[in-house]
Amino acid sequence: MPQMELAGNRYEVDENGFMQETEKWNEDIARAYAALEGVAELTGEHWTVIHYLRTYYLANGICPMVRRLVKETGFSLKRLYDLFPQGPARSACKWAGVPKPTGCV
Amino acid sequence: MTKKLNLEDCSKGGDTPLSEVNPGEWIPLPPPYDKSEEQPGLGRITEERKERWVCNLDGVVALALPKPENTEEEKRAVEQFTSGLRKLLSRENNWTFLQPLLLSLDYCAQCQTCNDACPIYLASGKNDLYRPTYRAEIFRRLVDKYAKPGGRLWARLNRGDIELNWTTLSRLYELSYRCTLCRRCAQACPMGVDNALITRELRKLFSQELGWAPQELHAKGTVLQLEVGSPTGMKPHVAKDNVEFLDKDFTDATGVKVSTPWDREGADVLVIHSAGDILTFPESPIAFAILCNAAGIRWTLSSQVGGYDGVNYGLFYDDVQLTRIATKHAQIARRLKAKKIVMGECGHQHKALMATADRLLIGDLNIPRESVMTFLEDLVFSGKIKLDPSKNDFPVTLHDPCNIVRNLGIVEPQRRILRYLCPQFREMTPHGVDNYCCGGGGGLSVMSQANFTDWKVTVAGRMKFKQVLEAFSDQPGPEVKKYVCAPCLNCKMQFRDMFAYYGAREKSGIIYGGLAELIVNAMVDMNKPFIEWEPH
Repeated sequence: MPQMELAGNRYEVDENGFMQETEKWNEDIARAYAALEGVAELTGEHWTVIHYLRTYYLANGICPMVRRLVKETGFSLKRLYDLFPQGPARSACKWAGVPKPTGCV
Repeated sequence: MTKKLNLEDCSKGGDTPLSEVNPGEWIPLPPPYDKSEEQPGLGRITEERKERWVCNLDGVVALALPKPENTEEEKRAVEQFTSGLRKLLSRENNWTFLQPLLLSLDYCAQCQTCNDACPIYLASGKNDLYRPTYRAEIFRRLVDKYAKPGGRLWARLNRGDIELNWTTLSRLYELSYRCTLCRRCAQACPMGVDNALITRELRKLFSQELGWAPQELHAKGTVLQLEVGSPTGMKPHVAKDNVEFLDKDFTDATGVKVSTPWDREGADVLVIHSAGDILTFPESPIAFAILCNAAGIRWTLSSQVGGYDGVNYGLFYDDVQLTRIATKHAQIARRLKAKKIVMGECGHQHKALMATADRLLIGDLNIPRESVMTFLEDLVFSGKIKLDPSKNDFPVTLHDPCNIVRNLGIVEPQRRILRYLCPQFREMTPHGVDNYCCGGGGGLSVMSQANFTDWKVTVAGRMKFKQVLEAFSDQPGPEVKKYVCAPCLNCKMQFRDMFAYYGAREKSGIIYGGLAELIVNAMVDMNKPFIEWEPH
């Protein structure tokens, strides 16, 4: 399993850089991921999405549907792509420290 | 110019790639996609990954096979492979596909007709590595040499002598995932030799004998489906909760009441969608709900583990997993006392449960199974739903999912619907059983290691993308909105990746979606268009 240094510590990640030990996540890790994708500062909007994703994931064992994410956070898909350069699955889930979605999705 | 390959080359050169993907040789695409320098191209494998992974085929990595730690490991793999070859030839160990495999091994006349039928070979600029016969003939000679009595002598005297070593088998493993199992080659063969089956049996050997299978298909595919209910990781209560959310969300959006019945005993129809449709393409299951309810059908979904996800990746690589999942689907239908199962818009689900599982499901597990195509055709022409084709007055073309059309022969029902409901329907060339694969068949559309997605959209899907553009060549600009009807989840995923890569929506105004959505879009009772042209 590859490892990656984020905010001063090493964590297990998959080949796409998604954290494998979601319980070790903290907000500095989200900031570190964001910096790697060129986002220098996380705003309240970012945190709304990140915390929603984590809460949903921890309760359900899977990331929410994009349609639900849009509805529950109130951000349009376009806005989500503005906030997270590679979109909800590839950026937002990664920054939130939850695994990459699998299967036919 | 990519160098010509001999069969024997596959066992030589160790870690050196056997061939290369050469964008300069790909068949050209119509404008504005004709300038290869404007495309993102193929990602390179980093040096760090080359240290860890076997990367000796074509500069592309689908499988991320770890490098062997020592020669013992290499030797063991070769022994397991040899033992697997023998098992493939015995009735006790290959009760599923023995006869067609033996026929395909025995009857190839080396005429090479199949090569020009292969979309990957053609798109690549005829790279020898991707010839259907390159892979198959290596396999055939290994069988002759290592699995038949007196084979070694025979090999030396007669047909070239391919050595089975770590290099050969690690390349064959990766090469077995450069084929979408579309079976266009099998259809073209005058002898009926099925090179796609040979590829699939090769994958089976790796999975069942060496424990080698793509993570997306096995550990995070069939294993997750059997344990949790779906390769998406969606548990039963989450599936139900998601569909309930969608029912409400679409009711709000369309103004038409949407509701989905769950676990209704004795229903006439148990619909098994793919869970990916619920999560990623929810218009499809919602369109189904609207149509079934409007036509007064007694239908249900199932929230049993596995009952809400019709995918069966076992079809692509492993008989044991294939059987476990197909049996589970049938058991769920039996427990619910459903009169029949209707497949969702998913090609490999059709083939796995309707055709292949015919050899597995006996007695009261042999529950009638129907394709979504005939089901929707009956519904459209039943007169129970008022439809207005003028609502679909935009260019539409149809993609034929290989498993439904070429492999099951279900060709016309979907066309009768489109000819009736879409005034600007036009066929691709070629189409029907002669179609080209989307490029994501055989499990490829869920696989996305390293630079594999780049290869899928530039090489495997190239013929399809070209066909789509040509079908709309009368109105190529983005100002005219155009729809590719792709009634298969795996195909839709491939179109999504391909259209995103080329920017097809922005440059050409082309979107993709299923068949049920087009029918709902034409319903008189829908006040707003059901198809959404912008990302949402």
